[in-house]
Amino acid sequence: MALDFMVIFEDNNFSALLEGLWVTVSMTFMALILSVVLGLFIGLGRMSKQKWISLLCSWYLAWFRGTPLLVQLMILYYGLAIGLQVNLSASVAGVLGLGMYSAAYVSEIVRGAIQSIDKGQMEAGRSLGMSHGKTMVKVILPQAVRRMLPPLCNEFIALTKNSSLLSVITVSELMRAGNLIVSNNFRYFEIYIGIAVLYFLVNYSISVGIGRLEHKLSVEGRRA
Amino acid sequence: MISVKRIHKSYGNLHVLKDVSLNVEQGEVVVIIGPSGSGKSTLLRCMNYLEQIQEGSIEIEGKPIGLIQKDGRFVEMPQKELDKIRAEVGMVFQNFNLFPHVSALENVMMAPMTVKKTKREETEQLARELLRKVGLAEKADMYPDQLSGGQKQRVAIARALAMKPKVMLFDEPTSALDPELVGEVLAVMKQLAAEGMTMVVVTHEMGFAREVADRVVMMDGGTLIEDGPPDKIFSAPDQPRTQAFLSKVLSH
Repeated sequence: MALDFMVIFEDNNFSALLEGLWVTVSMTFMALILSVVLGLFIGLGRMSKQKWISLLCSWYLAWFRGTPLLVQLMILYYGLAIGLQVNLSASVAGVLGLGMYSAAYVSEIVRGAIQSIDKGQMEAGRSLGMSHGKTMVKVILPQAVRRMLPPLCNEFIALTKNSSLLSVITVSELMRAGNLIVSNNFRYFEIYIGIAVLYFLVNYSISVGIGRLEHKLSVEGRRA
Repeated sequence: MISVKRIHKSYGNLHVLKDVSLNVEQGEVVVIIGPSGSGKSTLLRCMNYLEQIQEGSIEIEGKPIGLIQKDGRFVEMPQKELDKIRAEVGMVFQNFNLFPHVSALENVMMAPMTVKKTKREETEQLARELLRKVGLAEKADMYPDQLSGGQKQRVAIARALAMKPKVMLFDEPTSALDPELVGEVLAVMKQLAAEGMTMVVVTHEMGFAREVADRVVMMDGGTLIEDGPPDKIFSAPDQPRTQAFLSKVLSH
């Protein structure tokens, strides 16, 4: 069988792939929001003076970082449904699974960035009579967010790539769309190259977008 | 105004403040001198409770800060009350600690707007006035990384003044500055002193101490070893340790 990349565009294959891509992008995006919000709270929680909060957050990190995403997805979708009669739709299980997994990594990014800010900043805020929380929101976090962006970019790209695992819990995302096409025409090489290019385009856009955001949020960028 | 009574502070086994007491009256300028490691910065930082103490009491205008006595035991006061007292004590740091992500003007405006919830317009007016006072009216829209060390420190002073503090604490305010920038910061501090601000200053600038201080306090080894008017301390100190320290510092 000679290579023929035109198969990507035959038999509605391309529109099927684009539909899959849309599901990939939208589910990744929702997972990303969950991951950032949850990751922020867990990262802050790990630094809490309340022992039980920081302990709880440490456990969260240890569990979700210490077990494979694929296993977590299986538990969420098949495990909960069959073992505990908790039926989550594939999309809900997918977003939850991806988001909670990624939040573990984001929490470490958040914690690292906050702890990298000079402690004189917190002292200055407190010496002016601002509370710990207010200083965190007005002084520490705005500076920390900038330092979070490069590692967050890594994490978002990893999240996009990890979303291909959702194909095993029947989410009709890009990988699954490709698998379906391949099972009909056996054009493994052409279709998977096509999928790879689509993933690449999404991830490349993420890195360019975050690069621009980084510049815009930098002190130099704000002045311009 | 400030009353420090028999405080003790340790970092683990290291006893950095040993039974230190110090009173500062309204309008007084007290300069703390001493060799490095003598505990002078730590004592200053205790006065707005950036450092916790293990024993003793610190009062600002009769109100305790940080450690309070409850049922005969020392306990930490609630953070909210601590914030209230800190708002009345201005602090200037050796490394400025300006907020790098906002302009000079916003550095000055942030605390009053956050803590006292003052309106933007009136806060901006106050901030511009304060920046004019420290000679930086035209630098209001600059970011900290565009300012020289001396300018940063003057913005930091304006930032502390924006809370209308009753006391200003200076922790080696000129130690991180190039020699030619020291004068502009000291000039602002002299002006403040002349206006009657109560000030406690940790510094190695003996010229400033001699000229501006009402009292000079010498610390060594975590204790306060001498306390007196600058004329006496600089010309005829009682303690040989003070004499030895001053002869080293003043000889160059």
